[in-house]
Amino acid sequence: MSVSQEPIIKTTKLTKIYETGFRGEEVKALIDLDLEIYSGEIFGYLGPNGSGKTTTIKLLLGLIFPTYGEIFVLGTSDINSPAVKKNIGYLPEGAFYPDFLRGEEILHFYGQLYGLTGRELRKRVDYVLDLVGMTHARRRMLKGYSKGMRQRIGLAQALISDPKILILDEPTTGLDPIARKEIRDILARLRDEGKTLFISSHELLEVEMISNRVGILFDGVLRVSGTLDELLEIKDRIVEFANATEDKIKIIIDKGGEIFDQIDSKVFLRAKSDDDIYNVIELGRSVGLSLVKITPRRESLEELFVRVITSAEAERRTKNE
Amino acid sequence: MSKVIEFVKGPWYIAVYTWREGLRRKTLVGFLILSLLVIFGATFMTSFLNQATVGDVTTDMDLKLIKDICVTTISIFGVLITIFISASVVPVEVENRIIYTVLSKPVRRFQYLLGKFLGAQLIIIMNLCLMGGLFFVALYIKQRILPTLLLWSVFLTYFEFLIVSALTFAVACASSSSVLPTIAGLFIYITGSLTEYLKDVYNRSGQTGEFLDSLIGYLAYILWNILPNLQRFSLKTQIVNSQPNDPPTDVLIPQLVLYALIYAVSGYIIAYWIFRKREV
Repeated sequence: MSVSQEPIIKTTKLTKIYETGFRGEEVKALIDLDLEIYSGEIFGYLGPNGSGKTTTIKLLLGLIFPTYGEIFVLGTSDINSPAVKKNIGYLPEGAFYPDFLRGEEILHFYGQLYGLTGRELRKRVDYVLDLVGMTHARRRMLKGYSKGMRQRIGLAQALISDPKILILDEPTTGLDPIARKEIRDILARLRDEGKTLFISSHELLEVEMISNRVGILFDGVLRVSGTLDELLEIKDRIVEFANATEDKIKIIIDKGGEIFDQIDSKVFLRAKSDDDIYNVIELGRSVGLSLVKITPRRESLEELFVRVITSAEAERRTKNE
Repeated sequence: MSKVIEFVKGPWYIAVYTWREGLRRKTLVGFLILSLLVIFGATFMTSFLNQATVGDVTTDMDLKLIKDICVTTISIFGVLITIFISASVVPVEVENRIIYTVLSKPVRRFQYLLGKFLGAQLIIIMNLCLMGGLFFVALYIKQRILPTLLLWSVFLTYFEFLIVSALTFAVACASSSSVLPTIAGLFIYITGSLTEYLKDVYNRSGQTGEFLDSLIGYLAYILWNILPNLQRFSLKTQIVNSQPNDPPTDVLIPQLVLYALIYAVSGYIIAYWIFRKREV
């Protein structure tokens, strides 16, 4: 997989303000969003409910219109042109499709809208049904599908034209762990095929596992954006020792040592800073443990998310006061 | 040429899908079955009762009554189906959010609307063909004369429905539920069928010299000018009173078709103008 230096999706100062109620009260759903998504990358778009994720996706797809700001997809601002949309596959949150059609009929219909016909269309329908594991249910009416099946058929319709860009809004929400793992595997496979994936999700662990870059949105503002290496801070250092026994561990705890983990005769102690590493090593040696290695531990995406959102909420509270 | 075909393909696929969706709508199918039952009952059942009471002689009065009931049934159920489908094809997709997946495909909003409108027309035409076809067969069995006048009537009724459909569709494109456009469609049909009375109201206004009287006259005049005159499309009196194979009289069919097409195109343009910047 190679990531291009030319953004395939770019927004500049993208802003969406809704007017609600009789008085036309303004609700700022998205404020000055500058975003660049590069060809071949997986971008995880994160944020709590109501932060503006779906608004961004609707703007990118031309379903709603910006109050101001610009959107470029594949180098053009005419994002509604069929030439651009031929290269985009979209999976909406909740998967809404005509219930009166069978699984394969849905795919035929959407495939036709992409200009696919005849044998090419049939081959593509067979391929995507197989990819999402829905071949067995292809002739069943959609109203008889479970939530997971609807999500899979939704992913299949997004992939029907073999698009360059996939925009996925909460692709694994509401799925059981096995279905989630399967969807995640499909996404990883698409990443390996060089597709550009824009994934809006609440599932932080999943995003962390497959994304190259992430952006965190709060109150319509993109708070942070970058690669995981750039964003995830070194949280602490883990010092690994061998020859641990219950007695030795008890002494360490009594002396103020912080146990991170314990596996058989190995014990992992947490050092809060570089300077603290020496104290931890000294503590381990003092009870007869043998030093194995020292590993820096990066914070998880979940920890980053909580850190960013907590700070944004505090900022909002200060502003309101 | 290939560009034109490419352009038309999208709307056509959407039209066929809309038509298939319509066939599975319970309300729509209910209206259709009910209308077919009324036509069937009015023709075949009355024939059975006549034979039971006065032998196999069907009086002129009976036949006129049957024709009257059937033409009215086609008109009422036909317009209800027309309004119901035209008022709902777009709002239902917005409500169910199916529109997200369709508009995110390589389809312009103009094409999407064209597809939905054509799909509604396919449903209206199919319903008219079923109702008109049953009446056609029944009349032929009763009179042993091909009722060609009925074919002209069904043809003109479609263009009457086309006007109602296009204007209802335009209202539907501004609405997020099908309730308001349904009410608007009924209003368009009722007032469109009464435009001659509106002219009459205008002609009689101003006689008392009161402000309200003049205002009502003025409003009637505006509505008379804007609203289509749907009565022009009716061959009911002729169907009821003439021989089934008489040619249509007192109507200029090409002019009426053109008249309907002008309203239909205007309705579609208004619909697109509303929908092109609508946020979904």
